[in-house]
Amino acid sequence: MIDRTKAPVSNGKINFQTPEVKVLTSNSNISIYFVKKENLPIVYTTVICEAGSKKDPVAKNGLASLTSLLIDEGAGEFDALQLSDEFEKLGSIFASSVNHDYNNFTLLSLKDNFESSFYLLSKILTAPHFKQNDFDREKKKLLDRIIQLQDEPSYIASSVFDKIILKNTFYELPEIGLISTINNINLDDVVKFYNDYIFNNSIKLFIVGNINEHHLIEIVNQNLSNIESAHSSNDNFEKPKIKEKTFYLVDKKGSAQSELRIGHIAKTRNSEDYYPTKIMNTILGGQFSSRINLNLREKKGYTYGANSSFGYFKHTGIFEISTAVNIDNTSDSIKEIFFEIEEIQKNINQEEIDFAKSYLIKQFPSKFETYSQVAKNIESIVTHNLSFDEFNTYQSNIKNVETNEVLKAARENILNEYLTIVIVGDKQKVIPQIEKEFNITPTELDKEGNEI
Amino acid sequence: MKENSLFDFKYNKFKLDNGLDVILYQDKSLPTVSVNIWYRVGSANETKGKTGFAHLFEHMMFQGSQHIPKEGHFYYIQEAGGTLNGSTSHDRTNYYESVPSNYLELVLWLESDRMGFLLPALTQEKLDNQKDVVMNERRQRYENQPYGLTWEILFSNLYSENHPYHWPTIGWMKDIEKFQLEDVKNFFRKYYSPNNASLVIGGNFEIDEAKSLVKKYFDEIISFEDKNINTLIAPEEFINENKFLVHEDNIQLSRIYLAWHTVKLFDGDDPAIDILAEILSGAKNSRLNKSLVFEKQIAQDISAFQYSGNLAGSFIIVSTAKPNVELSKLKEEIFFEIDNLIKNGITDDELIKAKNQFKSSFIYSLQKLDNVVDYLNFYNFHFNEPNYFQHDLNRYESVSKDDIINVAKKYLSKPYVQLNVIPKSEK
Repeated sequence: MIDRTKAPVSNGKINFQTPEVKVLTSNSNISIYFVKKENLPIVYTTVICEAGSKKDPVAKNGLASLTSLLIDEGAGEFDALQLSDEFEKLGSIFASSVNHDYNNFTLLSLKDNFESSFYLLSKILTAPHFKQNDFDREKKKLLDRIIQLQDEPSYIASSVFDKIILKNTFYELPEIGLISTINNINLDDVVKFYNDYIFNNSIKLFIVGNINEHHLIEIVNQNLSNIESAHSSNDNFEKPKIKEKTFYLVDKKGSAQSELRIGHIAKTRNSEDYYPTKIMNTILGGQFSSRINLNLREKKGYTYGANSSFGYFKHTGIFEISTAVNIDNTSDSIKEIFFEIEEIQKNINQEEIDFAKSYLIKQFPSKFETYSQVAKNIESIVTHNLSFDEFNTYQSNIKNVETNEVLKAARENILNEYLTIVIVGDKQKVIPQIEKEFNITPTELDKEGNEI
Repeated sequence: MKENSLFDFKYNKFKLDNGLDVILYQDKSLPTVSVNIWYRVGSANETKGKTGFAHLFEHMMFQGSQHIPKEGHFYYIQEAGGTLNGSTSHDRTNYYESVPSNYLELVLWLESDRMGFLLPALTQEKLDNQKDVVMNERRQRYENQPYGLTWEILFSNLYSENHPYHWPTIGWMKDIEKFQLEDVKNFFRKYYSPNNASLVIGGNFEIDEAKSLVKKYFDEIISFEDKNINTLIAPEEFINENKFLVHEDNIQLSRIYLAWHTVKLFDGDDPAIDILAEILSGAKNSRLNKSLVFEKQIAQDISAFQYSGNLAGSFIIVSTAKPNVELSKLKEEIFFEIDNLIKNGITDDELIKAKNQFKSSFIYSLQKLDNVVDYLNFYNFHFNEPNYFQHDLNRYESVSKDDIINVAKKYLSKPYVQLNVIPKSEK
C-alpha cells in the first residue's frame, strides 16, 4: 500500500509565456490588436465599437440592441438569407451582441476561409442594408424576446437589481431594451444610430489566429478602407448616489425558488485596490470553495450554488451576490449572506488568503487556452485603459498583496448599510419570512423594476 | 497543418491488471494537463422508484473519501489553479480536472482515492446535505425554469415505463427524497469498479512518468467481481399512434414539441439524421427557419435535432409560437416543409453548407483540451478505439442527398409524440 495520507506536491515549475500583443494600425487608422496563435487552423476576430445601450435615448431604450440584430440582415451584395448562406458555406460563425458599453461583432473562421469571411464581416460593418421589412421582423422578434425574458426569474432579478443600483445613469437602462421604448423606435433611428456610433465612431479590432501579420494588415486595408475612425464619442457619467439598505420584491406566483441579488455600486476596474479586492472576493464568493457557497450549499443545503462578484463597466463597477434558493429558505439565506458579509470584514485568516492567491496565480495560464479567451483578455486590457504589461505583472500583483490590504478591501468595498436586496419569488411565501426575520416589508416592484 | 494530422490524435493505451483502461495523449502547446474518467454507468442503469441515483452519486463523489476531507476535491484542485467537475448522462458518468501540468500527481491521488476508498468516508449527514443540493438543482434547472419540465414529460411519453430512457437523469423529486445510505454503497460496489472505468490523461507530460504515476495510484485498487457490468439491453420502442399532450406552464409564449423514435448513436442512419436536422433548422436560411421565422413570422424560434444515445435515439423539433399564433399553425407548416423535402429533395448547396458547418464546428471544439480528452474517452467507450476522430467525421462526409430524403421518409413519417406547452391562464 502506498501512503495516501498526504497530498502530492507540485512537480517542478511550469514554463508559461504570455502571448505577445502587436498593436497595428490600418491605413484608415483602425487599431488592430493582434496575437499570433498557431496550434489550430483558426482565426478569431472581435470588433468593438462604443455603441452599447448607454447610447440609447431614454425614450428609445433598445436602439443599440435592435441595431445589433438588424446589422447582419443583408449587407453589400447579399440579402439577409444570402449573407447567412455565405458564412455557412465557409464554415464560419458570425455573431453580434450588445452590452451596456459596446456593440460587439465576432467572427470565428478557419484559417483558409478567413479572408472571405472577413470580407463578409466588412460588408456588415460598412454597408448594411437596413431595409424596412427586415427592420419590422427584427423589431417584432426583439419585442417577443422580451416577453420571453419576463418569464425568466433570473433575468428579472438581474435587470431589476441593475436598474435600482444604477438609477439616474445611462446604465440603468436594460441592454436589450423595454417593450414600451422599443415601440418608439423606427428605421431612421437605427440608421442614425449606426452612422453616429458605428460607422463614424472609433472601432477596434482584436484578432487572434493562425495568420501572418502582413497578410492580416493587407486584408484589413482592403476591406475596411472606407470606414472612419476619426473620433471617439464621450460619455457624460455621474456616479449615482449610494442608497440606504432596502429590500425589494418582484412577485413570481407559484415559484419554487427565490432569485436573490444583493449588492451595490463599486469602484472601476482600474482602481488601486483591484487586486486586494479580487482576493477578498475569491474568499467571499468568487469560486466553489468560497465562504458563501460552502455555507449556503454544502452546510445549509439551501441552494445549488451561490456566488459573489465585482463586475466592471467602463465608468463604474458593481458588487453583486447572486443565488437562487429554495423558497422556504429565502430569509434564512439572506441572513446567512449578511452574516458572511459581516464576518469577512472582521476576520480573514492567512490560510484563506494563501489559498486565494494560489488559485488566482496558478489558473492564469489556462485563461489563454482558446482563441476567443485570448481575444477577450486583450479586449479587457484595452477597454479598461490598462497596459499590456498587466499580463506579465498579473501573477506578481496578486502575490504582493499584503494581508491587511485584503481585510481593508472588505471593509471599504462592501458597504453593509447600503445593500440593495432584490428578491424574485412568490410574495405570499416571501413577505411573511422577511417581515419576521428583518422586521421590514419589502418594497414591491413590477418586472421592469418600477414601484407598484 | 495538414488535414489528416489535424484529426489524428496519437495516443498510448494500456490496461492495468484490475481492468482499468488508461489512455495517454500528449499535447505540449500549453503547460496544462486534463484528466478525464468515464464510468460506464448512467441514469439508464437505474430502476423504477430509484431514479436520479447515478446523478446523486456523482455529487457524493465530491464529498470526500478515506484520505480526502469533505469538499477536499474542490479545495486541492482550486488551490492548484485547476478546474473540475463531473456530469451524468443516460449512458455514462464522467469526472474531469484540468490543472497546471506540474500537478498531475495531485489529480491522480484525488481520483484514485474516490475510486478505491470512497465508502469509509460516506456518512448520513453528507447524503442528507447532497439530497438538499440536488433537490435545489432540480428546482433551479427544471421546476423554476420556463419550459423546464417539458423534456421529462416528452421523454417519459416517448419511452415506455420500463425503458431506461423513460425517466430524467436528475430523477423524480419523490425518488430523490427517499434515497438511503445503503443504496449509495450498493451502487458504488456495483458500478464504480476499475474494470468499469477508463482514464484519459491529455496535455503536457512525459509518457513514462505518467504511466508510473497511474500505476502507483490505481494498481492497488481491486475490482469488484462483476464482469461486463454494463450489458443493458433495451427493447426497440414503437409508438403505434400519435400521442398528444398538453402542459401548462408559467410562460407567455406557447411552444410545440414533436418527437419521433429514430436510431442509436453511431447507427448507419445517425449522421444522415444529424445533417437533416442542420438542413431543417441549422441556419437562417434553413428550411424551417426560413419558412416559420423569417418569411411567415409565425414562430419566434425553431430548432430540430437528433438526440441519440447507447440504447435509442429520437428526433425532436421545438418551436415557440409568436403571440396569438396557434400551435396547430406551426405544426401544419412544419409538416408541410418535411413533406416538401421528402418529395422534392435537397440541393447540393444545402448539403455542402451542412457538412461544412459540421466539420468546422468539430475543429473549433478542439480548442479545449478538456473536449479532446472527453472525445478520446467517448470513442474508446464506443469503439474501444480513442483515435476515432477522422472516422467520425467521415461518417458525415459520406452522407448523400438521397440519404437525407431516405431518413426523413423512414423516420419522420412514423407516429410521434406532440407536446403543447401553453400559458397557465389559457384553458
